[in-house]
Amino acid sequence: MPGVPGSLDCVLILAPYRRDAEYMRALLDEHEVKVMQAVGPDELAARLAEAPGMLVVTHEALNRSVLSIIAEHLADQPDWSEMPIIVLLDRTAPHARIRAKLSTAWPRSRQIFYQRPVAAMELLSGLQSALLARLRQREVRDHIEREIELRRELNHRVKNILASVTAIFGMTRRSAASVEQLAEDFSGRLMALSTVHSAVFEAGGETIDLSDIIRRTCSPYRGDGGHRIMAEGPSIQVGRDAGTTLALCLHELATNALKYGSLSRPEGRVHLTWDLQSAIETVLTIKWIESGGPPVSEPSKAGYGTRYIRSALQGLFGSPPEIVFHPEGLRCIAAGPFARFR
Amino acid sequence: MSSPLPPLRIFYLEDNPLIVFHVEAMIEDLGHIFAGSASSFAELIANFDSFQIDGALVDIDLADGRTGPRAAAWLQKHGIASIFVTGQAEVAAEHPAVALATIAKPVSPKVLGEKLELLRKDAKPF
Repeated sequence: MPGVPGSLDCVLILAPYRRDAEYMRALLDEHEVKVMQAVGPDELAARLAEAPGMLVVTHEALNRSVLSIIAEHLADQPDWSEMPIIVLLDRTAPHARIRAKLSTAWPRSRQIFYQRPVAAMELLSGLQSALLARLRQREVRDHIEREIELRRELNHRVKNILASVTAIFGMTRRSAASVEQLAEDFSGRLMALSTVHSAVFEAGGETIDLSDIIRRTCSPYRGDGGHRIMAEGPSIQVGRDAGTTLALCLHELATNALKYGSLSRPEGRVHLTWDLQSAIETVLTIKWIESGGPPVSEPSKAGYGTRYIRSALQGLFGSPPEIVFHPEGLRCIAAGPFARFR
Repeated sequence: MSSPLPPLRIFYLEDNPLIVFHVEAMIEDLGHIFAGSASSFAELIANFDSFQIDGALVDIDLADGRTGPRAAAWLQKHGIASIFVTGQAEVAAEHPAVALATIAKPVSPKVLGEKLELLRKDAKPF
């Protein structure tokens, strides 16, 4: 793409007399440095648009239009860029005056002057040192671009989390019978969101082991009966968003079981199992089976927990979960293509 | 609060289940019908035949990437008007032709109610 800084490892030679350019080209070719050549001002502008890493200009090439084309190119450089320019001067040229003039005409360039004739080794080492400096600049550029990208991503994630919190609050408020219940349910849900966030972050940021999510989501209830959640399943990596949704669903199931379900009785249990089965596609099945609790009957009106679990698991698995108010205990079973969990 | 006109059947293309959950309740509070949701453009296409809808709410970033604008264009071709619901209004603004409006996240019931009425006027001519 023209105009976009490329790899910056190419040298552009501006030498109106063919022999100078040919000599340098041969020298650089021999040392495997990439070269572009320009003869007149038009060609110079076109080659500069291809974003060479540095420029070599001979004294006799420096006319008014060349000066201004290069100045324009330098002015358009991004912040991180400072183009190295090697200027080859004749012995008889007024060196001090040319240096003064170019340093004003070409700000934000790194100018290196050689007096002709230049020994091949001297020129080559100057070029290589300039290209190395350019490489460092390129690293700075990559770093800046990465930082911009990260800031954008961070903003996006913060917005998503705030949207999630708003949704949790709005829905908790609807189902809360008192301010105390609102406060308790809301902080419990936020804590579950926070716990899974930390878990995903510690796991490296993109995927997390399902058993890790389950262990951490159940751990706040260990003392209260959460240790009677018997979790069993293979090690499975799920994506950040899928993991978050599963954690929030588990939180609802666990708090419900502690308040009204099997975990409200000392002898009550939950069997939480998950498995992958490969047929035409790999299917993930998760089962939450309660037993040993008080007799269960379907509530007349579904609360936050049940409604959220239905909605979230439907979205995550691609089909609605099976939620059964079995007399022996609540059962929640969800199955769907594992591809949806990446 | 219910609308004096017949309810609209609204579909929601959004990959965050919490937000779907919340907006679903808001749509019902407004007297409209929540007609389902999908978390990706691919899922929308796969299930489209089974939908009976008057309009769609569409997020920009979905489970299969930044496919919201493409999904809205696709719905438009199938005679369904869309409204973007997003935290990235600047991206939505790059695709003005495929959606009637943009609702910023987090969604407020008042704004949602007003914008959904746009679907009514535009849904008729199809």
